[in-house]
Amino acid sequence: MSSAADSPLIEAHDLTKRFGDFTAVDSVDFSVRAGETFGFLGPNGAGKTSTMRMISAVSPVSGGTLRVLGRDPATHGPEIKARMGVVPQQDTLDFELTVYENILVYGNYFGLAKDVIAARANELLEFVQLSERRDSKVEPLSGGMKRRLTIARALVNEPELLLLDEPTTGLDPQARHVLWDRLYRLKQQGVTQVLTTHYMDEAEQLCDRLVVMDQAKIVAEGSPRQLIDRYVQREVVELRFAGTPSVDGQLEGLGERVEVLADRILIGTDDGDGTAHAVHERGVPVESVLVRRSTLEDVFLTLTGRTLVD
Amino acid sequence: MAAVAHVPSTTPLERTFAVTSWHARSYRRTWRATITTAFLNPIFFLLSVGVLLGQLIDDDRAQLGGLSYVEFVAPGLLAATAMQMGANDAMWPVMAGIKWLRTYHAVLATPVRVGELVIGTMGWSGVRVLSAAAIFTAVAAIGGAIPSALAVLAPFAALLTGLALNAPITAFSASLEGGDDGWYPALNRFALIPMFLFAGTFFPVSQLPDWLEPAAWATPLWHGVELCRMLTTGDLDVLALVHVGYLLAFVVVGTILAVRLHRRALLK
Ligand SMILES: Nc1ncnc2c1ncn2[C@@H]1O[C@H](COP(=O)(O)OP(=O)(O)OP(=O)(O)O)[C@@H](O)[C@H]1O
Ligand SMILES: [Mg+2]
Repeated sequence: MSSAADSPLIEAHDLTKRFGDFTAVDSVDFSVRAGETFGFLGPNGAGKTSTMRMISAVSPVSGGTLRVLGRDPATHGPEIKARMGVVPQQDTLDFELTVYENILVYGNYFGLAKDVIAARANELLEFVQLSERRDSKVEPLSGGMKRRLTIARALVNEPELLLLDEPTTGLDPQARHVLWDRLYRLKQQGVTQVLTTHYMDEAEQLCDRLVVMDQAKIVAEGSPRQLIDRYVQREVVELRFAGTPSVDGQLEGLGERVEVLADRILIGTDDGDGTAHAVHERGVPVESVLVRRSTLEDVFLTLTGRTLVD
Repeated sequence: MAAVAHVPSTTPLERTFAVTSWHARSYRRTWRATITTAFLNPIFFLLSVGVLLGQLIDDDRAQLGGLSYVEFVAPGLLAATAMQMGANDAMWPVMAGIKWLRTYHAVLATPVRVGELVIGTMGWSGVRVLSAAAIFTAVAAIGGAIPSALAVLAPFAALLTGLALNAPITAFSASLEGGDDGWYPALNRFALIPMFLFAGTFFPVSQLPDWLEPAAWATPLWHGVELCRMLTTGDLDVLALVHVGYLLAFVVVGTILAVRLHRRALLK
């Protein structure tokens, strides 16, 4: 596998997905290297799931080329799937079966021996902290537990590549942190991960590298740090107002970049405190002023003029 | 975990069987719910209609080719039960797998191919039909409703009947893009129940008005009933091949369509 380690696990050129006349993924290019955690960050409808489904060899590409684990998903789907784990956006667990049986049945599809599956299922349940629920039904599990079970199930074939479509959407903060911790451990074990999210904090936490997707296109690519350095200033001054933000010209010359949103104004600047001071000095009628570090959210806003989560 | 891929390779047959055993495992938890429709109802029918009602009409044996009524109706019920089971397995469970619970999507994230998923699922319906048919035939034989030893083949005729309904209805379910289950009651009301009542289960189709008789011949159930009846009564003739061929055509065409339509529904 040493030669394979140098070449990307996933490589896409001009990758396109159309549904009828509608283009869901429009000529995107990206590549994922072995061992990294790679993210697709984008709002609803950006084309993240459509891209993931093409990678997981269940959705035919409409244009461009795609290689996954060195193979073409159109012709080598089952070979690719044998070495991959998939956590889909919507859970697909079998509610008739117990937690343990869900993994057992899944292992069968990969042709694993019964005793191998049994041993791995117990290990994996331990790993995702579901051992106590081993023999309970799936339906009463919490959202976070179901998600963890889906991840455990996706790992039964010891995949080299794990695809996670919005792994924590809909979970409470604590459940999200538990999940992030497990994904981090998998990364340490060398599992390459590709995930989608519309949470910038998730992308910052987990991804070595990510692409920002919007309206079927990739609009930027890099590590979270690189993206912030490249597209936005170091800090943001957030101004909130009693009513609709209205400043007519009072912010002229402040900071490097001003974004007026429905409920607040953001000023990108390399000197947050200085800018905040200037805002007060000029007597801008603000209700509150907050200085914070720039995030991927600001990157997204700069690139698209819109916020990530609406 | 990621160092080397050592996933065993599997054959299509193994993967198909893995799908069948998935359904078998799920069924372990729900069998109580279906045990009445699969096993008890047909036996109750045999008792009430075949034995008790039959006693009232047994004077006119010539109409039934010399059979007692219970001997006549037992293979009819056998085929009709197979039809009902095969059809039911192809309705809500298939829709659930594609649309509601999306369990089929989970299967297709693994090396299992669409054809293996569809055939493995039909295979499970086949197992259910065959076992219910075997039990029914045994009970009917013990109860004296089965005059011929050829009846050991009757459960296989019932299996063929069940699959002849299961395959095309599986295709139909996969074609319902929006997950519109409103079609199922209609299918029951306008196809399955009329077949059950008029396609030779309870009386010879020669009793139907002349203009309606050919319609009965076109139904898969009539061919299933006739085939089962030939085997349980021992009155086998060359027409059996026509029945087998007709039912097989439903299975083959239905399966091909089912695989195609599943592909369209699942691999978008
Ligand atoms: N099967 C389909 N048929 C038609 N249009 C589709 C289909 N699947 C997705 N789309 C459309 O493609 C676009 C991209 O959808 P996709 O699910 O890839 O977005 P996403 O980035 O995953 O969004 P979300 O964050 O909501 O999951 C959307 O406008 C969606 O309506
Ligand atoms: Mg999505």
